[in-house]
Amino acid sequence: MLTMLEEVVLLAVDEKNGQLRSTREFGTAYALVGALFFDLAMARKIDTDTETVHVIDTTPTGNATLDRVLGEMARRTDLTTVRGWIEELFLRRQDLEGEALASLIERGILRHEVSKLLWVIDVERFPMVDKKRQQHVKLRLAQAILTDEIPDTRDIMLVSIAEPCGLLGYVLSSSELENRKQRIAMLCNLETISRTVTAAILNLDASLRQTMTKVV
Amino acid sequence: MLTNKKAEIPMIQLTQETRSGWCVVGVRGRADAEAADELEGALRAALELHPKVAADLAALDYISSAGLRAVIQAARAAQAKNIEFAVCSLSAPVQKVFDMSGMHHIMRIHGELPC
Repeated sequence: MLTMLEEVVLLAVDEKNGQLRSTREFGTAYALVGALFFDLAMARKIDTDTETVHVIDTTPTGNATLDRVLGEMARRTDLTTVRGWIEELFLRRQDLEGEALASLIERGILRHEVSKLLWVIDVERFPMVDKKRQQHVKLRLAQAILTDEIPDTRDIMLVSIAEPCGLLGYVLSSSELENRKQRIAMLCNLETISRTVTAAILNLDASLRQTMTKVV
Repeated sequence: MLTNKKAEIPMIQLTQETRSGWCVVGVRGRADAEAADELEGALRAALELHPKVAADLAALDYISSAGLRAVIQAARAAQAKNIEFAVCSLSAPVQKVFDMSGMHHIMRIHGELPC
């Protein structure tokens, strides 16, 4: 099974040309940290409540990215809030996207191509070798959003990470997204991790707007 | 890193009784990652045998995200089987968590037991 981080990064790959779609750079970075937290929660390594995060098991998961973050969390006993950890990992984030892409290539789902633009600039592409994996992720997202059934908790997490990344627009039409706006907001609100990610993105947006206003 | 009152709140305790056609699953203590599988298992077991299931959370002192996911998965199973499932009598700290998450949007939450 793919990790949540891998599923979200896979969703960001354009199935037609293998280009990586990144619509909200900082929002995506926050959301990828959120996906990492969900992976640790699903592996029963951490648990959260309305504000606090607890490390409950430090035995390795076997996934290098998750184990690196889990190790950091176990060592830093001074940092206990979900918000604090999301901000900490956002600031010290390594290439979460790159690590997930490397794993997807290793699993035979994507391949890596580098071409030259104007004979000078390297352009990276990640064409799909196995298109079914991305189609499966899209199908789960569509079902979670378009039906009124209670989704699987993993799919609730997936919606709540894909939304702040701006990736739902690659799954559903704008009219479908508009019609199901309340449903998406409801699903995104169910989890502490996604509420915290959304708050962090809004906070960052406000700071950027304030900075731009001062510059202008 | 444990900053809640884990030591003061007992582990989860689950009971089951039948009243007026309802199977009432009583949940006491704390529903966290350690207890989530047990909680989901107890609710799913009740859903296998009864057409109406109520989760009585009056004595539940603490619920984490893992505990909430266990309740969501049970509600999902009930919906798939077309079984009546009600979450009832939430204690104040648990009510706060349910309110923040908007759990009332996806499942029936009652102030009191329906039986």
